[in-house]
Amino acid sequence: MSGRGALPPSALLRASIQQRVGRMVLIVAALVFLAVFLVLPVAAVFTQALSQGWKMYSDSIYQEDVLSALRLTGLVACISVPLNMVFGIAASWAITRFEFHGKSLLITLIDIPLAVSPVVAGLMYVEIFGLHGWLGPWLSEHNLHIIFAVPGIVLATVFVTFPFVARELIPFMQAQGSDEEVAAVVLGANGWNVFWRVTLPNIKWALLYGTILAAARSIGEFGAVSVVSGHIRGQTTTLPLEVEMLYNEYNFTAAFAAASLLTLAAIVTLVLKKTIELTSGVHQPVEEKEVQS
Amino acid sequence: MSIHVEHIYKHYGSFTALADVSLTIDSGELVALLGPSGSGKTTLLRIIAGLESPDNGAILLHGEQSTQHSASKRGIGFVFQHYALFRHMTISENVAFGLRVQPRQHRPPRRVIRERVQELLHLVQLDSYAQMYPEQLSGGQRQRVALARALAVKPKVLLLDEPFSALDAKVRKELRDWLRRIHDDLHVTTVLVTHDQEEALEVADRVAILNQGKLEQIGTPQSIYDSPASPFVYNFLGNVNLFHGRLLADLSSEERGSGAEQTVQSAIGFVRPHELELSRKLPPDWKAVVASVVRIHAAGPQVRLELSIVGSGRPVTAELDRRRYEELALVPGEEVFVWPQSIRLFDGADAKSLLLDQGAGI
Repeated sequence: MSGRGALPPSALLRASIQQRVGRMVLIVAALVFLAVFLVLPVAAVFTQALSQGWKMYSDSIYQEDVLSALRLTGLVACISVPLNMVFGIAASWAITRFEFHGKSLLITLIDIPLAVSPVVAGLMYVEIFGLHGWLGPWLSEHNLHIIFAVPGIVLATVFVTFPFVARELIPFMQAQGSDEEVAAVVLGANGWNVFWRVTLPNIKWALLYGTILAAARSIGEFGAVSVVSGHIRGQTTTLPLEVEMLYNEYNFTAAFAAASLLTLAAIVTLVLKKTIELTSGVHQPVEEKEVQS
Repeated sequence: MSIHVEHIYKHYGSFTALADVSLTIDSGELVALLGPSGSGKTTLLRIIAGLESPDNGAILLHGEQSTQHSASKRGIGFVFQHYALFRHMTISENVAFGLRVQPRQHRPPRRVIRERVQELLHLVQLDSYAQMYPEQLSGGQRQRVALARALAVKPKVLLLDEPFSALDAKVRKELRDWLRRIHDDLHVTTVLVTHDQEEALEVADRVAILNQGKLEQIGTPQSIYDSPASPFVYNFLGNVNLFHGRLLADLSSEERGSGAEQTVQSAIGFVRPHELELSRKLPPDWKAVVASVVRIHAAGPQVRLELSIVGSGRPVTAELDRRRYEELALVPGEEVFVWPQSIRLFDGADAKSLLLDQGAGI
């Protein structure tokens, strides 16, 4: 028994009131911050989008340019996300299951897209594939268009979303350890069987989680795509670029209508993310599950 | 299937995990690899399994060089310390795994697999758990599933890596007895890695003791307990008291009478706590030291006394059976004579020629 028990009851009461007041102040501050910086802007997007009524809203979306931007965004996501899944699994498998030289370098490299400004990423691709870039002359000789065309947009998006799956899987696979895989090998399973029957089922939730983050980023990516896209309406504009172009043309209602689609995608992402967290235990303390042995 | 371990070396960087370890495990035998952590016992097991490759040396399975075969082709059952059950599969799927992943031409038909799984779950007494998932089972049950899974592929060798060390004491003891019974039924050549000497001595046909990557001794539990080959083995197999003394040259009785005492060298004698005798009277041969009683632990069939040697203050632990303890009726603080009924020296000298120093014990 120390200090606490020795305090007179009035002092204890005062301390507990102080504690409670302090907690209230913090909670209120956090809520106000959330309201001003998150809820209000999101609400503003939808208010602006619907300010001229539903008819105007749906007309703004059912425009050839907006629909084509939507299709392109979907296409880019459909290509870059599976690529990232494959890369993410391969990298995490290599990093968590094998010892090799240059491993820490690889871990660092995976994080580069997060550290580099997306604009720089876009410029890198222009430097390599652009008309005056390293591969430009050769590409134009063979009539291959990368910059200011869809392949460039896909490349830029792949670069920017590179780390999401791997960063999700590496800590998860490290925590799980390789015991189950070793057990499968000793039981006679070949690499294929080990992957499909043991590894993949074990990482599926973390993989899905990372994939959703990568998808959200690939849908919303602006900077890198903006540099390589060339802003050709109906051909190389993704949804975020379309929003910017509409906005610059003072077409606010249409800009916000398109923006509301991106916002909806973000909300769907959040809901999916939360659902995965709740159903699978991904991103919850691992120890709790392991201790009971 | 017999296992020959021949001159195995293994280094991790500058750390020597195994240095020139050779041993033979006969077909149908249960051998325990016993040693403290870092002694190389798990490394040796993983090398036998093919999960690690030795820097040098060879593993012969049934007289056949196996170092070339990968782990998946050695026909080995492996049981891990932390079970390593497939967490997303049911218990019966876990047990069936080894059969289901076999190449098509060797894979038994579904019906056979199902029967084999049932048979094994019956063997490990978990019939009613077939449709549960590993996380719904207790540690002891999980380890039994792991054993059933390992046995499903009819391994010629069963390797167990500290299989019971994550379990609590009572379950550990049960599983240990149970493992021995299963081994007696199936006669699979089995290697068990453990750091628990009691477990090794109780379960194994033979025990191999490893220390710092070297094989210290191999033999039946009784032979290594009764005649340990080195101070390390002696120490590792149970509690020990060290008595410092001097070895006298082989003096004839008349020389001794003349008082020409010749100290040849100092030596250390090893004595187990239960080999100590305590008395208020000096023994007939006068070979005893005086110690004071520090603490008495009287719970259990054996009474353990912590003593302190008068003079050097070195601690000595003695174990008496209850009747002797009650006869003596010692109390803490009291001084008694202590002498070993038997004492072991490791430099080839005759224990009878050891004169104990009063400053004895460590």
